[in-house]
Amino acid sequence: MSLAPSRTASPVTRRTVLKVIGGVGAGLMLGCFADAGRITAGEGSKAALAPNAIVRIDPNGDVIVTVMRSDMGQGVRTSFAMLVAEELDADWNKVKVLQAPADEEKYGSQQTGGSSSITSHNRDLRRAGAVARALLVGAAAKTWGVDPSSCTTDAGVVKHASSGKSLSYGELAGTAATLPIPTEEPKLKDKSEFKLIGKPTNRVDNHDVVTGKAIYGMDVPVEGVVHAVVARPPTIGGSLKSFDDKAARQVPGVIDVVKIGSGVAVVGLDTWAALKGRDALVIDWDRGPNIGVSSATLHEAMVKEVRSHDAAPAGAKVVAATLEFPFLAHASMEPMNAVADVRPDSCTVWVPTQNPSGAKEAAVDASGLPEDKVTVNVTLLGGGFGGRHKADFVSDAVEISKAVKKPVKLQWSREDDMRNDDYRPASHHSFQGAVDSSGNPVAWSHQVVFARGRGGRGYRDAGIMYAIPNAKLAEMGTDSPVRTGPWRSVDHTQVDVANECFIDELASAAGQDPLEFRQKHLRDERVKKVLNAAAQKAGWGTPLPAGHGRGVACFSAYGSCSAYVMEASVEGDKFKLHRVVGVIDVGTAVNPRGVQAQMEGGCVDGLSTALKAEITVDKGAIVQSNWGEYDWLRLNEMPELEIYVMDSGGPFGGMGEVGYPPSPAALANAVFAATGKRVRMFPIKVSELA
Amino acid sequence: MAQYNISVNGEQHQVDAPPDTPMLWVLRDRLGLTGTKYGCGIAACGACAILLDGAEERSCQLPISEVGSKKIVTIEGLTRDGSHPAQRAWMENDVPQCGYCQPGQVIATAALLNKSPKPTDAEIDQVFETHICRCGTYHRIREAVKQAAKETS
Ligand code: FES
Ligand code: FES
Repeated sequence: MSLAPSRTASPVTRRTVLKVIGGVGAGLMLGCFADAGRITAGEGSKAALAPNAIVRIDPNGDVIVTVMRSDMGQGVRTSFAMLVAEELDADWNKVKVLQAPADEEKYGSQQTGGSSSITSHNRDLRRAGAVARALLVGAAAKTWGVDPSSCTTDAGVVKHASSGKSLSYGELAGTAATLPIPTEEPKLKDKSEFKLIGKPTNRVDNHDVVTGKAIYGMDVPVEGVVHAVVARPPTIGGSLKSFDDKAARQVPGVIDVVKIGSGVAVVGLDTWAALKGRDALVIDWDRGPNIGVSSATLHEAMVKEVRSHDAAPAGAKVVAATLEFPFLAHASMEPMNAVADVRPDSCTVWVPTQNPSGAKEAAVDASGLPEDKVTVNVTLLGGGFGGRHKADFVSDAVEISKAVKKPVKLQWSREDDMRNDDYRPASHHSFQGAVDSSGNPVAWSHQVVFARGRGGRGYRDAGIMYAIPNAKLAEMGTDSPVRTGPWRSVDHTQVDVANECFIDELASAAGQDPLEFRQKHLRDERVKKVLNAAAQKAGWGTPLPAGHGRGVACFSAYGSCSAYVMEASVEGDKFKLHRVVGVIDVGTAVNPRGVQAQMEGGCVDGLSTALKAEITVDKGAIVQSNWGEYDWLRLNEMPELEIYVMDSGGPFGGMGEVGYPPSPAALANAVFAATGKRVRMFPIKVSELA
Repeated sequence: MAQYNISVNGEQHQVDAPPDTPMLWVLRDRLGLTGTKYGCGIAACGACAILLDGAEERSCQLPISEVGSKKIVTIEGLTRDGSHPAQRAWMENDVPQCGYCQPGQVIATAALLNKSPKPTDAEIDQVFETHICRCGTYHRIREAVKQAAKETS
């Protein structure tokens, strides 16, 4: 069996760049990434990107693809490399991935979120590959004195059929580097010509991961690094009054104690010394203005915002429902961390971030150095889920390094991470809907109140997948001191989950099968197909053991759609998951194996948050602090899981977030099918079924 | 501080550390073996799993003073080239998503196979109910464990 080599390229050092440009053993650096700056909506137009930013071909034939989006497990390092390699006709075994540092001038927005990496970059990455291919073909044609159009490419080789000649990309790189970059738009392959795109491909970092070589933020080896943890206010909005560090400084291995913006940092020879030093600090905290805030007071405040729904059409059967969602922490497996090395005239940061430019801004602010003296390197991310958009851990690391004049590895403990997150907000939902005498839905009113500060808007179109007259949604907010942020699929985690629970209630009110009811009223044929496929694979309608129920839910956003059919039962005070069938359609999947993995992950996230995880607030503080209190599904609780990737052949859609929303909803609907009781609150508890 | 002589991946290391220092931080911060991950520090997640005389141990709960002459193997020492059946099965089944938990999962598999070369589903459940994968790769983990078992026996 052949073992995959390490797929991580060594960065281009100054010396190799000079060598490349200098000509001897020249490599080819070219690219085509001029438009990325204007691609992501809302980012605004940035200056044109320098060419040659994406692909490099070394004389030894290695193809180095620079990936400018962060990989938090969604596999973007693999799928981006596939997109480039496809148009380049590269030998996949020679493709290596280099992670780009923060540089928006060069790469455009590097914010990794909104399931947008493939949708916004697929074209430019393919163009980058196609330009490189054109130059390599040009170099071969020049060498052989033939017309470029008589040459073909395959797996890293240019061939000339009539003469039988061939040259590898590595051999051609030097000559190709001397040719002018073609000015005409490169021709991209037709879908029928794809060799790599659409082929289930294992991720490029697997070998490094399973041998322990993969470098996440906290693994970055830096000469002379010291380790730091920070004591932060225990309450939301709390602040430091005073502290006594005498005992902390006595702890063996503690090097220094410094006050920084977020609290008191303890610096040690290793993380353990820093943690023990932190335990030994005597701190007087001002508990701040929020000690009266709890999950109960926030819930009350949310409920207060709800107004009465407009009257349903006369004669229709009215259905009303409420649903509650808790705060959720991101709880990435790798707690927040960053490494910073601040010198008088430079600041270098290594950080697992979804937001390299935000990290850079934080480093610039905290170091006080001009932007061109600050370098932010992006490592692998041990999970993200939206939680690595923020940059307070970067500020921490930079401040500490600046104060102690040493490179610093800042580690948030799991407890720090869980209590200082930007949480998925809690929400309260009030629904009113109606079905007429023939069982057709005739009204839909959904009010959602988020615990994330006042604001929001009045009624607008509900944006639901179903054809229901006057379907409307009002999004509101209530005052809350709890910091919130995007969490895998953001508001869809509440609004769309709730919608899929309520459509089930309308189906019940109409006395109809929830699958048929959906099929009858779904507007989009693509969603219908996905739903039908899930139902068919799951054997919808076939008999189940006593006490078991099947639930269904579907979802459409990010240019993709998904559906699950789940089977569950109640045993004592616990739910048991039996079988999950999921189908996802991302239009055209770059890497179906990766898409499948995201659907699996989204499904497990959905189940975990439907059954276990919740963040609560008491006396102005986050209650949960570690796994166990904030629990996730475990392997022994997994249902049988089947995920199918459907290829509808449409444009490349997003996939990181598409797997989540129908998962909690399908489970809630399965619980209803099994028990006859509706879920009114997540996470679902048997005792709270209504 | 006290001085300890410990065996890690077949090499003897001398470490000066307070006796309560968990091996997790000794491995990561002192010996530069960062394949062993920190996920909770309270034995709740399994990211820090190592082999101690061939059995799974949570390195966040193992003080250096308790290692004695027992032999530690970390993910870096399981094999140098990724050729352990568990490592191969992990790559072939494309188990990792973010990958952060996976060294611990692979080590747990190696320990399980040491003890029980043909593990039953119940045995697999028992080992992995204490391992968290926040990315939700459980389905593939089970497949990979079974494949690794097949190749071992
Ligand atoms: S870090 Fe040791 S079990 Fe989680
Ligand atoms: S692969 Fe990300 S935590 Fe397991």
